[in-house]
Amino acid sequence: MFYRDRKEWADLEPVPQDDGPNPVVKIAYSEKFSDVYDYFRALLKKDERSDRAFALTAEAIELNAANYTVWHYRRVLLQALQKDLREEMRYITDIIEEQPKNYQVWHHRRMVVEWLNDPSEELEFIADILSQDAKNYHAWQHRQWVIQEYKLWDNELEFVEKLLEEDVRNNSVWNQRHFVISHTTGYSSPAILDREVQYCLNQIRKAPHNESAWNYLKGILQDRGMSSHPGLLEQVLELKETHCSPYLLAFLVDCYEDALENNNQKETLNRALEVCEYLAQEKDTIRKEYWLFLQRSLESRFECIDVLLCQGISPLLKSDIKNGV
Amino acid sequence: MNAPEKVLEEFEQIDFLRDRHVRFFQRTLQVLPERYASLETTRLTVMFFAVSGLDVLDALDVIDRNNMIEWIYSLQVLPTEDQSNLSRCGFRGSSHIGIPYSVKGPGVLHPYDSGHVAMTYTGLTSLLILGDDLSRVNKQACLAGLKALQLEDGSFCAVPEGSENDIRFIYCAACICYMLDDWSGMDIQKAIEYIRGSMSYDNGFGQGAGLESHGGWTFCAIASLCLMGRLEEALSQRELDRIRRWCIMRQQSGFHGRPNKPVDTCYSFWVGATLELLDVFQYTNYEKNRNYILSTQDRLVGGFAKWPDSHPDPLHAYLGLCGLSLIGEPNLRKVHPALNITQRAFQHLQQLQQTWRDNAGTCT
Repeated sequence: MFYRDRKEWADLEPVPQDDGPNPVVKIAYSEKFSDVYDYFRALLKKDERSDRAFALTAEAIELNAANYTVWHYRRVLLQALQKDLREEMRYITDIIEEQPKNYQVWHHRRMVVEWLNDPSEELEFIADILSQDAKNYHAWQHRQWVIQEYKLWDNELEFVEKLLEEDVRNNSVWNQRHFVISHTTGYSSPAILDREVQYCLNQIRKAPHNESAWNYLKGILQDRGMSSHPGLLEQVLELKETHCSPYLLAFLVDCYEDALENNNQKETLNRALEVCEYLAQEKDTIRKEYWLFLQRSLESRFECIDVLLCQGISPLLKSDIKNGV
Repeated sequence: MNAPEKVLEEFEQIDFLRDRHVRFFQRTLQVLPERYASLETTRLTVMFFAVSGLDVLDALDVIDRNNMIEWIYSLQVLPTEDQSNLSRCGFRGSSHIGIPYSVKGPGVLHPYDSGHVAMTYTGLTSLLILGDDLSRVNKQACLAGLKALQLEDGSFCAVPEGSENDIRFIYCAACICYMLDDWSGMDIQKAIEYIRGSMSYDNGFGQGAGLESHGGWTFCAIASLCLMGRLEEALSQRELDRIRRWCIMRQQSGFHGRPNKPVDTCYSFWVGATLELLDVFQYTNYEKNRNYILSTQDRLVGGFAKWPDSHPDPLHAYLGLCGLSLIGEPNLRKVHPALNITQRAFQHLQQLQQTWRDNAGTCT
């Protein structure tokens, strides 16, 4: 039954949308839809704080859960009418299960959790959402917020490992791994760093063509001396024979570049240039132009000292110019 | 359901169906069926996709620009008589709150009426694209409304009532300040800190600190820094090179938004434009990118979808076109990669800003 025909609503004058004489991107609403929202607008104008208003917000949400004004008004009513927040948790749980990619519903859940100051259902709930879509950005974002806000770090690494077993290529899970470790033990201890390096290499052995694992490996080493991590280069060169991928080769280039920055050797440069050539011509041809560009950059940056001396140029001055000093 | 990979025969010529896309955007600007209800509060952004799309197609002549300009101005949240709502000013996404239609002030006092940062951004860009001179925009009110949205950590909320806060709204804020040529609406330093803080271990940018790196947020980060004129101040050469690498690895055929995810037409713009801003888009594979975008073209109704054999929508239709424009597709206008409007509209903005500066000079 339309709101306009209900006598308990007769005191309210419905407020239609008014787009003027030339509406743009107009949405053609059914009578039912317009009726609910005309009364929503009427309540909003009065800023009415009542149970009938609260009930109507649920109908408005069902018709359009992306309307942030409805959600905001519902929160105002939740507080003004001192509604049962546990019941609201059940409500928002159902809505998110139906519409897990909507920003407003996750924001609403966060507000209710904050008001209750109770995160006890969150990890399980998010795990359930992730079981339906293991890469849902909103779910991971909410999870990180809950964990950080309420210090729920204890079992998260275990959760990460379980998900990586299910899908070692899930980039969101690798990101979560980094999130957990950087906020707990950190990577500065050699024991932890080495554990993580070995973990990566093991996952790479199982699934070599996995950008996520290689990105993680590079990520944790890039500012901690890629080329100086004991035995790593050797392990990577070994893997190159049996578990090659564009990511392995790119990692190799980065190792060589790191080595060159500390010790500019012609042999190292040549190896780096060779790998770039290999990537460009054979192993990652979609990025051919990029690998050739990188090759030219490396060549230009690390032109060997003996070549420069032959040209009668002070090597320091030339490299300064190249590096924009 | 819809596999993103579609192998194309070498001899298959995929033609670009310009007229279908023009009609797609025309229909978008008219009436959408009820199943698009979730777009109600963001109708102004949908208008932007269509209007800017028509501009890229050099087909703005098919619409009534003046009528559209009026509609946009009816969405401006103007200061009330007593100016008590300044921190809520800007543009609305639509008429959904129920304010009676009006294109001029003073503003109407309403307990829940306020602007939305993405609507202020797309409202201003749409006005520019339609040739308006922004003379009816209350710039000071917009900037006051914008300022009220920035948080301590440098990020922005979307609305003064509160919402999620992240890097998307920093981008919207940067566009607004850039267009209005006035950065008093934001604390640039704090915004830069938030952006830097959003850089992931893998050198892409997430929606915020600790979050997974993503092509859309990486665009927001880099484009914002470019608009602020702070790219090389905020990021070292080493960092920029690492970001270039992360971005260029997103190309699979078209582009995807995150490692190990399927490609999606819109990333041809988000990642493509970022690469362009970083001077390395020229090193991508144009042919594979083009082939992918065109494989998502809807040959019947026009527009583009995220994947082949999927329903087109205004966002993917617009960004698909922008993706093609970046690779130099003939008969498409060039797009300013940071502001995401045509170079033509951008030149109009530059002329306007020159006029403002000249007028400011003569007023003293």
